[in-house]
Formats: sequence, structure tokens, C-alpha cells
Amino acid sequence: MGEKVKSHSRRIMFSKQIYAAEAVKLAAYVFSDKADIKLASSAGGVEAEVSWEGKDCAVAGEFANEVLNQQCRLDLAVKNGKVANMIVTKALLSASGETVKKRGKQ
Amino acid sequence: MAQNLLKIKTKNSVAQTNPPHFYWREVDGAYLISNDSGCHAWLDAAAFKRFSAGTLREKDKAFEELSSKGFIRDRLDFADLAAKWKSKNSHLSCGPGLHIFVMTLRCDHKCLYCQSGAISLSAKGADMKWPAAKKSVDFAFQTTAPGLTIEFQGGEPLLNWAVLKKTVSYARKKEKLSGKRLNLGLVSNFSRMTEGYARFLLENEVSLCTSLDGPADLHNRNRICSGGNAHVSVRKWLRYFTRRNTGQGAGYRIFKPSALLTVTKFSLGRAPEIIDEYAGLGLEDVFIRPLSPIGYAKNSWSAIGYTAADFVAFYKESLGYILKLNRKGAVIREKMAAMLLEKIIGFSDPGYLDMRCPCGAAVGQIAYNYNGDLYTCDEGRMAAWEGDDLFKIGNVFRDSYKKAVSCSTARSCVAASELHLQPACSRCAYSPYCGVCPVYNYEAQGSLWGNMPANERCAFMKGIFGILFSKLKNSKDREILQKWVKK
Repeated sequence: MGEKVKSHSRRIMFSKQIYAAEAVKLAAYVFSDKADIKLASSAGGVEAEVSWEGKDCAVAGEFANEVLNQQCRLDLAVKNGKVANMIVTKALLSASGETVKKRGKQ
Repeated sequence: MAQNLLKIKTKNSVAQTNPPHFYWREVDGAYLISNDSGCHAWLDAAAFKRFSAGTLREKDKAFEELSSKGFIRDRLDFADLAAKWKSKNSHLSCGPGLHIFVMTLRCDHKCLYCQSGAISLSAKGADMKWPAAKKSVDFAFQTTAPGLTIEFQGGEPLLNWAVLKKTVSYARKKEKLSGKRLNLGLVSNFSRMTEGYARFLLENEVSLCTSLDGPADLHNRNRICSGGNAHVSVRKWLRYFTRRNTGQGAGYRIFKPSALLTVTKFSLGRAPEIIDEYAGLGLEDVFIRPLSPIGYAKNSWSAIGYTAADFVAFYKESLGYILKLNRKGAVIREKMAAMLLEKIIGFSDPGYLDMRCPCGAAVGQIAYNYNGDLYTCDEGRMAAWEGDDLFKIGNVFRDSYKKAVSCSTARSCVAASELHLQPACSRCAYSPYCGVCPVYNYEAQGSLWGNMPANERCAFMKGIFGILFSKLKNSKDREILQKWVKK
């Protein structure tokens, strides 16, 4: 997994063919309390340098999994966002008693 | 080439275009497919290959069934599919129907898995006072739902009898003025029940529910009563209320009492004894519930918890035994199965708030703490008892109904439980019938969204769905299971 830079540190390349930069950034934010993550753009995508303290060797792998998780969610938002938003909006409006205002004729 | 094209267009071998959206799951070499309207079908491997490739033919054995269930693109009956979807998702059209009133945190039991934050009998300042109770009733009646259920819980709610009694009377008066349909329920360990209390509750059509974890040694091991034998009280009052239900009273309905089973490590391997305990008391429902890592259970998981695989094995054994009893003529069903089957073969909404999309947090149910604080659900209230107020949505004295049900917490929980946005759920064959719990996800995995591939609750539910769909393939089991679904 990635290239070992120093102990407790890994460099991982996230290909732009698969991962949006946004997914990597979101995952880095989620992991901000577990590891220091430096991100850099490159021609192929985004490179992340993950550094952490302690003996847990799984941090880099877990970070990569979180990037995948975030990418899946971004993909789903594109594919299913419309129907999901309709359902969420319907549930919230019904609970609060609001109705959707119809647009008047121009 | 021209001859091949002619063949494709011939009436009895029309090639199907790509199928409409469907979910699928491979199970022991066969394929379960489902769709958002809640229809499902089984295909063998070869038929599934043809179906998913869009090369299924009209003369194919599966074609007619798939046509009738919305799996063939140019045979879609949109009106029927839309009606099924709407019926199964009717909860989207109304607000919170379940209102849980925590009458007190005090309790005379110390259950190993307590999720209510119960504290000692002598504690002060932990009872719901009348102003908070009255305000909570007023708040609950603002729901946009046409009817509501107020469920009194605790701690042990009977320990706050004076306010409980006054609240019941007030709620019934409110019902007459509002025109809304009101159901009242009491969840109690029955240790403090008296004839006087029982009479009042029955006269006011309060349905009774308790916990029953099995035979005496098992029940008492899980549910430690400071005042004596927990099991004795439960059996005594279940018999009492069952007799009253059989006899019925004048002028008011007496509901059959019900009981809930919480499975701990000590329950495993004892399914038949537990079911026999329920059947022996004449109870018609066994609600087999797994532990959640919330409350006391979280800290004592190593002593009382188990893996999803263990629970699913227990569930399979229990369901098998219950079906066996049914074949012998017993009237008893597994409640979780009955509710899920309402969706699977009944195409209707069973009102099971833990298993709906989006979940019922704030928009389907509200928990009212003893001090008037409002939470997305009772589990959310428990998270607050542990020190995290994330699931608090307001207070009856300070916040309006509208503000509470549309606050950022409510919106976050609703969004996080919309299955089309969950990576694993959006592809799962069980998703038309399933639901996630943001509180569970947060407590167990640190985020409202959770991570389903590593989520034990997801593993439980996949196991249960697997068992149910497998039972539905057996004609004798299907006949029994169909009777469990209310018409």
C-alpha cells in the first residue's frame, strides 16, 4: 500500500481516473483526528502523505477505505441524489406541516 | 443478417431491452431480485444471466412472473408499481405518530442491557412533573399525523403514578377536542402494578407491554429486581391482563397484553424454552430483539453481547420452532418477521420505526424526557444520558413543534438514513424493506452514516431477511407466514 517514506508514514496516490479530489479531501477531514494528512495535486490525481503516531499499522489502509467510501457517496449523490432529495424533503415537509409552494404563472 | 433480425422481432421470441432498475443478491446459487416498489422474485443462475443481460424471452418460464412484478421494461404497469410504493412508504406523508414519554428515570430493576438510563428508586429530581407532562401532551397533539400513540416508559413509569394518571386523563380529554385518534400504551416491568392501577389503565384503554426474557432463571438473570423476583410479577400480571382481555369489560376495549424479548448471550441455545414460556402464557407475539451497543449494554458487551452470526443462528432456531408450533395449531408469531413481511408480501407500512427509509428520528417518533427535553427517539435520549446531546431536538417549554421536527439534527438523521445514498444499501436486494439507524451507527461506528459492510446491525438484518426470504420459498412455511400479515 503506497510508498513508505518514514516510519509511521505512508504516501498513497489516488488516481483521478477513479477518485475525485473532493473525495480525498473529505476523507482527510474525517481522519484529521487520527493522522496528519498532506495532500498534493499531481498529473495523475491526488497524492496523500499519511503520518501518524502509535503502533497501529492499519491507519493508512483505513484512510484509503474512507476515500473509497467518500467517492462512493459522491457517485451515489450524482446517480440517486434527485430521488433521495425528494424522499428526504417529503418526509421533513410532512412532519412539519409545510407544503410545497407552487410557482405562479409568469 | 436480415433473417436474424426477423427472428428477433418474431412475436414469441421478442428480445427484452435492458431491465428497469433492480436490486439483486446471490443466495446459494439462486438469485433474489427486488425493486423499489417492493416486488421480489427468485431466478436460477441461467435465467438471471439472461434477465440481467436483457435477453430474456417471452416464452421464458420466468417472463410472466417478472412482467407482473415490474421487472420487464416494456411491460411496466406504472399505476400498480406507484400504488405499491406509496402504500409501503405511507409514512412519508405524515409526521411523528409515536410519542415516548419518559415518566421517570427511577427504576426498581437493574437490567443488564438497560437503555433507559435507569437510576435508583431514591434519586431526586428524575420524575416528570405535571407541567412538563401537560406540555408534552399539548406538543404531541401538534403532530401532522392523523393519529398518535403516547407510550409511557421510564425507568419504571408506575413509580410516578400520580402524574401518569393525570396525563392519561388529560390526553383522553385532548383526544376528544382534537379529533385525532389516540392510542395509549404503558411499557412496564409490572413490579409496581396494583389492582387499582390496572383498573384505571384498562378503563382508559391503555395497552400494556412488558419485557419477558424467558423462563425464570433466564429472565431474572437479565433483569435484576431490587424488590424480589422480576419473573413472578411479569407472569402474574400477564395472566391478569390476558384474563381481562378474554372477559372484556363494559364500555371499553381491553387489549391483549404483549411482551418483548431482549436476547443476551444467556439466551443463546435456549430458543425453545423461551418460546414455550411465551406460548404457555397465551401470548400471540414474540418480538425477538437483538442487543444494541447503547446504554449499559455498551459497557457490558463482553459479558452479555454476541456476534451477528450468533444472533442470526438464534433467530433461525426461534423462527423454526415458532413455525413448528404453528403447524401444530398454536397461534403465535414472531413480531419482527410479521412486520417485515407486511412490507415484503403485504406492500404496506407496518409502522416499524426502526426499519424504514428514512428512519423515524423526529419525523416518525419523538422521545420526551422527564424534564421536557425532546429527542429524535429513545435511543437518542440514551446517548444524551451518556453525555452526548447530539440527538436532542428541543424542549417542550422553549421550542415549537415545527422547530423541533425540522431542526438540523432531524434533517441530518433523515438524510443519513435515506438508503439511496448509502453505498451498500443502494445496491442491496433487501433495501426496499430495510432501514438504518443513525443513532446505532453513531454509537457503534462514530458517524450518523455508519459503514454498512462493518455494521453489526446490518449483519443482523441481512441474516433475518435471508431467513425470511428462504422460508417464503417453502410453500408450507409461506402459508403460515401469509397469515401473520394483517389484512
